[in-house]
Amino acid sequence: MGEPVPGGCFGRALVVDVTDGSSRVLDVPATVLRRHLGGVGLGTWLLTELGPPGVHPLAPGAPLCFVFSPLVGTPLTTSAKFAVVAKSPLTGLLTDALASSHFAIAGKLTGHDAIVLVGRAAQPSVLLVQDDVVRLQPAGDLWGRSAAQAEAALRDREGHRWQVAAIGTAGERGVAYATISHDGRHAGRGGLGAVLGSKGLKALAVRGSHKTAPADVDGVLAAAKDLRARSLGRATERYRELGTMGNVLAFNALSTLPTRNFAAASFDGAERLGAEELAQARGVTRSSCASCSIGCEHLYKGSGGKAVRMEHQSVSALGPLCGVSDPDAVLAASARCDELGVDTISAGGTIAWAMETAERGLLDAPWLRFGDGAALLRALDELGTGDGIGPLLSLGSRAAANVVGHGSLAWAAQVKGLELPGYEPRTMQAMALGMAVNARGADHNRSGAFDADLSGDLDRLRGGDAHVRGAVEAEDRAAVMDSMILCSFLRKVFDDPWVEWAQLLSLVTGWDLDADELRATAQRIVLAKRAYNLREGWVPEDDWLPERFLATSLVVGSGRSATLTPQTLRAMVSGYYAARGLDASGRP
Amino acid sequence: MVTTAGVVLAGGRSRRMGSPKADLEWHGSTLLARTVGVLVRGADGPVVVVCSPGQELPPLPAGTEVVADPQEGRGPLQGLAVGLAAAGADAAFVCSTDLPFLHPDFVRRVLAALAGDVEVVLPHAHGFRQPLAAAYATSLAPIAAALVAEGLAAPKPLLDRSRTLVLDDAALLEDARLRAADPDLRSVHNLNDPAAYDRARAEPAPEVVVQRFGVLASGGRSATVTVRAATVGRAAQEVGLVLDRHVLAAVNGDATSRDPHAPLVAGDVVAFLSADAGG
Repeated sequence: MGEPVPGGCFGRALVVDVTDGSSRVLDVPATVLRRHLGGVGLGTWLLTELGPPGVHPLAPGAPLCFVFSPLVGTPLTTSAKFAVVAKSPLTGLLTDALASSHFAIAGKLTGHDAIVLVGRAAQPSVLLVQDDVVRLQPAGDLWGRSAAQAEAALRDREGHRWQVAAIGTAGERGVAYATISHDGRHAGRGGLGAVLGSKGLKALAVRGSHKTAPADVDGVLAAAKDLRARSLGRATERYRELGTMGNVLAFNALSTLPTRNFAAASFDGAERLGAEELAQARGVTRSSCASCSIGCEHLYKGSGGKAVRMEHQSVSALGPLCGVSDPDAVLAASARCDELGVDTISAGGTIAWAMETAERGLLDAPWLRFGDGAALLRALDELGTGDGIGPLLSLGSRAAANVVGHGSLAWAAQVKGLELPGYEPRTMQAMALGMAVNARGADHNRSGAFDADLSGDLDRLRGGDAHVRGAVEAEDRAAVMDSMILCSFLRKVFDDPWVEWAQLLSLVTGWDLDADELRATAQRIVLAKRAYNLREGWVPEDDWLPERFLATSLVVGSGRSATLTPQTLRAMVSGYYAARGLDASGRP
Repeated sequence: MVTTAGVVLAGGRSRRMGSPKADLEWHGSTLLARTVGVLVRGADGPVVVVCSPGQELPPLPAGTEVVADPQEGRGPLQGLAVGLAAAGADAAFVCSTDLPFLHPDFVRRVLAALAGDVEVVLPHAHGFRQPLAAAYATSLAPIAAALVAEGLAAPKPLLDRSRTLVLDDAALLEDARLRAADPDLRSVHNLNDPAAYDRARAEPAPEVVVQRFGVLASGGRSATVTVRAATVGRAAQEVGLVLDRHVLAAVNGDATSRDPHAPLVAGDVVAFLSADAGG
């Protein structure tokens, strides 16, 4: 182990061709790091540089980028996160997802700012990266096992200093919304697990001995102490005490809880699925990622006594969206998704689409009905085995609707192919815009415009200029948080985030960043994603919401109508383009 | 789709009351702020307050537009003309400032009847025509202005020249929501003198349901209680909450707000939730 490299970054990425296990080091210039930071920003740069234009997402030549960040490895709370970036098999465009914990720390200790995988192994394999040494090992014994099983088996075999990111059987089988997971946490959205599986890899394992040192060690220690103290305040109290599940009942009261494939926005059975009820009825265990003082994770006991990690998005997609109020069914469905290694949002969204399609008589699955927990579990089983409607479900709702036809695309709740998260766009119209224009598709992490809708500063039922400003700001903030990287659950602890983030990054990297430069960096990252998508076939129609949201209204509890007209959405999209300096068709 | 706004005529001389009605307190708010807040809830668009030239007004909700009568003492028809011209919508609910029991569902009911070629929806409640709790097409603004120019002061000539739909008690209460919310049509109960004001003040604040979610409820459980409160801020106070950056309110599942002065009416459900959503 040599001296720590100052400045939080190594300036190098490891590119591995898993066809033969060969590798090379790609120098990442300091200017690139400063302009893209790390995480999703650097991942977007790497994908653009290394990905052949027009490459199929599951082709050997399609890069899969595991990207670390300047802050990972520091004592700053919530910094132990990594990004995975690739061309999505679900959307055909860029996807980037974050996951947490020790894999991020160990991955950076290999001495690289990113590990990029290309090629295709001749047989099921695992890739082990220890510092600059790369080993490709046959892993036929792990194929067919869950990600958690594979992770445990690999660590048992190689040693527990290894940290592992793995796929479940869904990734092996190319399910378009398969995840990559580490220690039970998923890089969830966009089918990154299918990309890893397409390379013949069950897992990537990392360990290393190369450290970086902050430019200002004392400054970082002081900042870490301060941030930790603030992370225990009221701005994160909800995450600590109830986890993200604390949203369920509040969202239900606000008519923002998508129900029965977005036919409604409040759900009679929500009370049974709220964190408050589940905590009382099931007991709850709290957990946290490495280097995190918030501890948002809440695990509830399922019917078999097994602890199941539950998030608002999982409950929303597998519960109200499918009309299911039975907590046992929802907990079991979430556990089944984890076991298969699929994104709960897209799984729930695709099954909800299938339920409606079946109820309309357009899908030969008369057993598949809203509200039927057993049907939900059967659908997931078929997704896992490839029987029955499993192959159709494995495509995601947009592609499945294109197979079924008969206008079923109108009720496929997706943008760019990515299923909507648990936010109703008609009653959250800043979020409606955010989901329409975001590069990843319908998304709540890269576009946290729900913050604007719930700010109390605008009318969330009447989209307009304020909603555009809110969506742009939220997207910019996410671009920086996801690149430097800090957990988005910290976002409300900052009083002056742009200034404070610039200070944190400067302490670690030694760059003389200020808020203005960081804002410019955020905008650059957002536009870089758009530029990649343009290269890969994005068309203006991709920045739009499905017909369901524009053709039907909802009524909130006050009696007021929540209507999102095409004119309103068009005006907001145009406003977004103008704010981003794009032309009228959304191009730079 | 008819777009709707609100207009509050605040410029009257309040001779019988003896002091400006706009400033009078009612359960933690002023009559004017409360009326504006109710119109915000009942109409789609902006709320315009028409005052006398130079009149000082109490604090108003953010976004309230204020315009002044060109001349003082020309009666409500002038305020109607000015307010309709400024409303920026197809139609406006126009009312006086002294309606502490005005209900958003009354406003919605009256505005909803302004359809087809109807230009005025005139409630005829408790045996009286209510031109200052009525809906007007904003296209009537020039006609109203012309009548003012002729020296007229009361709304009646405008009603006479307009296609007016009169809604009596029974017709008003055909609306199920209004029937449930204000079965006695107290919405049109105005305050003309100190005695009426004293009686109104003696009435308890509206009874509302408060819901707290998540960490805002004691012991981590959601909690629902009934309290008496005429404003969101008072409701928060009743359950030990402060509307700061971490707490939001939503009345009847509508838009979120941190405005402590937002009015409440009987039967409202006020949800308090953590502002730190997401995930």
